[in-house]
Amino acid sequence: MLQAYLYIAKMKLLTNLTYRFEWLTSIFTNLILMLASVFIWQAAYRGGGGAGEALSVDDMVTYSILSSTLGALFVCNVQDTIYVKMREGQIATDLYRPLPLLGGYLADDIGGMLSSILNNAIPLFLFAALFFGFPGPADPLSLALFIPSCLLSYGILWLLSALVGMVAFWVMELGNMGMVKDVILRVLSGAFVPIWFFPGPVQTVSAFLPFQYTYQTPLGIYIGRVGTYEALGDMAVQAVWIALLALLLAAVWRRAKTKTLIQGG
Amino acid sequence: MNAVIEVKDLVKEYMIAKKGRGLRGSIRSLLMPKKTKVCAVDGISFSIAAGEIVGYIGPNGAGKSTTIKMLTGILHPTSGSVRVCGISPQEDRKAVVGKLGVVFGQRTQLYWDLRLGESFELLRRIYQIDKAAYEASLAVLSDVLKLDEFIDTPVRQLSLGQRMRGDLAAAMLHEPSVLFLDEPTIGLDADAKHAIRGFIKEMNRERGLTVILTTHDLDDVEQLCSRLVVVNHGRVVEDGPIDAIIAKLTPHRLLVAELERPCEDLDLDHPAATIVRQEGLKVWYQFEKSRITAAELIADLSGKLPIRDLSVKEPDIEDAIREVYKTT
Amino acid sequence: MIATLRHYLSVASCFARLAVQRQLEYPLFLVSWLLMIPTSYFTGIWMLRVIVERFQPLGGWDFPELTFLYGLGLISHGILVVFFINTWSIDRKVINGEFDRLLLRPMNVFFQLVASYVNFIGLIDCIPGIVIFAYGCYLTGFEWTAAAIAKLILVLLGGVLIRAALFIALGSIAFWTKRNGAVVGFAVITLERTTMYPLSLYPYALQSLLTFLIPIGFISFYPAAEFLGLDDGGLELPLSFALWTPAVGIVSFFLAHGLFRLGMRKYESAGS
Repeated sequence: MLQAYLYIAKMKLLTNLTYRFEWLTSIFTNLILMLASVFIWQAAYRGGGGAGEALSVDDMVTYSILSSTLGALFVCNVQDTIYVKMREGQIATDLYRPLPLLGGYLADDIGGMLSSILNNAIPLFLFAALFFGFPGPADPLSLALFIPSCLLSYGILWLLSALVGMVAFWVMELGNMGMVKDVILRVLSGAFVPIWFFPGPVQTVSAFLPFQYTYQTPLGIYIGRVGTYEALGDMAVQAVWIALLALLLAAVWRRAKTKTLIQGG
Repeated sequence: MNAVIEVKDLVKEYMIAKKGRGLRGSIRSLLMPKKTKVCAVDGISFSIAAGEIVGYIGPNGAGKSTTIKMLTGILHPTSGSVRVCGISPQEDRKAVVGKLGVVFGQRTQLYWDLRLGESFELLRRIYQIDKAAYEASLAVLSDVLKLDEFIDTPVRQLSLGQRMRGDLAAAMLHEPSVLFLDEPTIGLDADAKHAIRGFIKEMNRERGLTVILTTHDLDDVEQLCSRLVVVNHGRVVEDGPIDAIIAKLTPHRLLVAELERPCEDLDLDHPAATIVRQEGLKVWYQFEKSRITAAELIADLSGKLPIRDLSVKEPDIEDAIREVYKTT
Repeated sequence: MIATLRHYLSVASCFARLAVQRQLEYPLFLVSWLLMIPTSYFTGIWMLRVIVERFQPLGGWDFPELTFLYGLGLISHGILVVFFINTWSIDRKVINGEFDRLLLRPMNVFFQLVASYVNFIGLIDCIPGIVIFAYGCYLTGFEWTAAAIAKLILVLLGGVLIRAALFIALGSIAFWTKRNGAVVGFAVITLERTTMYPLSLYPYALQSLLTFLIPIGFISFYPAAEFLGLDDGGLELPLSFALWTPAVGIVSFFLAHGLFRLGMRKYESAGS
């Protein structure tokens, strides 16, 4: 079983390597996104701006670089995969394959993520180090907490993506709702502007939504905005969200499967 | 000579990138892709007169569609010349394509989501057909292709046969003098094939339409074409009337004899006839018709063996084509 | 000449009608776009506001001015998406051999490429553009004089031409590489970050690149700076942008069209 998943992941890695041209352009796309947000933060702090802030401009530059790197790394194609397969009527055939479908999609995305460590994240990080100096963590402990927190983030992101993908089982005519989710995620994850800069009421609402636990939580840990205990607490919240979303996905998936198998897609 | 299409020494070469295998190969072709030269068309010449229906056939990869693309001005040849109605499609594409109709069996030019008539209206404007001529042309086409049944149906709801009829009409609206058909009957049922072949014959007879047909369906060829151009490996290997090609390529016939009871010695003494197959009481003799007639063979056989039933098989186009592919 | 023009106009109007009809076949499909596009742009400007209010004006641009620029850039993006969307999928058309069919018709191939799809769904991009621009005009106290309106129209025309030129040039790369889907995404994102944010945020090297080599700065940044009487970051240009933007637009469009023609020649020599 694991062999099959490994094979899917390896094939993904191979196909990604084949597209030389797309590889270069995707690095440059991520680079532009990174440069734009770094320059905006530098402009915000320039000439004594943000003097009262707890975070320095260097913290925000590091935050932006890491955020763009994570953005390049977190591959969640599952929503598009499901949408396209539904539209082409392929999902019913896929359901009869011996491998659990969602597991297969997850392996596919993880393969994509592994290949983008090599293809995207490392080049991007090196570029950033060259331009703005090495964006190191606040201290070794921050780094040690950052990595598991990122894994939890990916869990939340992937589950959200899969859940939105499930929408296609019921209302495919509405188009790919994944795009709508991505827009909301871009704002409420704190990937560009951390939620702690937003007005108070927004922060309150956001704390009860899963989005800020995808980017803001690990990034805040990395730059040392939160202490160790608070970091562990945030990671506990991440884990709770994973559990909730996984339960929800399992329930929705069961219904989607019955619906498809009965109606034949 | 009233040649509609003249092709001389046509050559088309491609550069093809080779991909390596596995992870190592992928990385290698990522860093330094290898290119090799492939000759898709390697010196083809022929000419087609007005009103001919020519089958242009050959195995996959023989250079058929590359030739068609050069004839229609989509591709420019590496060397050699093409003249369609006296004009080179490379020099004056717009003038040439106005006289051509082209149907790709696998690819429709109709708008998928719209009713068939909308695609026709667009073509009317593209080819600048005035209203009266358009109505007249459409009336003739509707009559032969029975378009009335589905002209107001969205193309996505048409059956494959209806869609192909629509595509044929779309290619004929501007009354072209040459029609190129690339696999026009692929995937169609017997009825639809019949309708389409009927249409092609009718247009050929009524309008003197010149037709060039590429196909793998040899029934198309037999029923439609007066002439065959057979290509393989980018070269013309046969060009002539179908009967002549069959006679030349397959000099053998088969005699199938069914015996009353098993016999020991089935061999004939004649050197021009040999046993090629045997199954129970059935024996297949192959013989060269230039050296022994069927009558002689039958006389010999019935003198020697207890025969219950006899039949003679003429080689058909399929045998001839298989012969061509095998020997070139 | 006039006959040719009438021919092309008649085909263009038929193409447009068919495109609208095709899009109306699946009206519900619009829902996801109607949700996504406005959310995306309204939250985009909102995030800039959060930064400016918490910190300071960005590169000398306060929130009203940022809004004006953001709206101006977005409108020209919206117009492009309506009229030139087919330049985004040149790679797919090369791979699928879709240019074959265009070459088989007695008309200009570039015309057929562009005219064959009027993407009225792109109006969804124009709506937040107009709303944000109007709000920016209100906040900055923009005066709607006849001269200003004329300038605005010239700037929008020029801006759309510059954008179109960029996508045509990038799309034409597909004639050689067969793939450029990712480049289009790259260009869309780059344009968003450089026409809706002030160019003066970026280092001089980048500003010069985006002014002289790839004239993105003329789409909305220099015009907005001059409309609002702001410092445009140090690159002083003579004459008014209202002349520069359309002129740059026309020149880049012709250059891009030349590249497309070279690409078509390559297509005709290699096929798909």
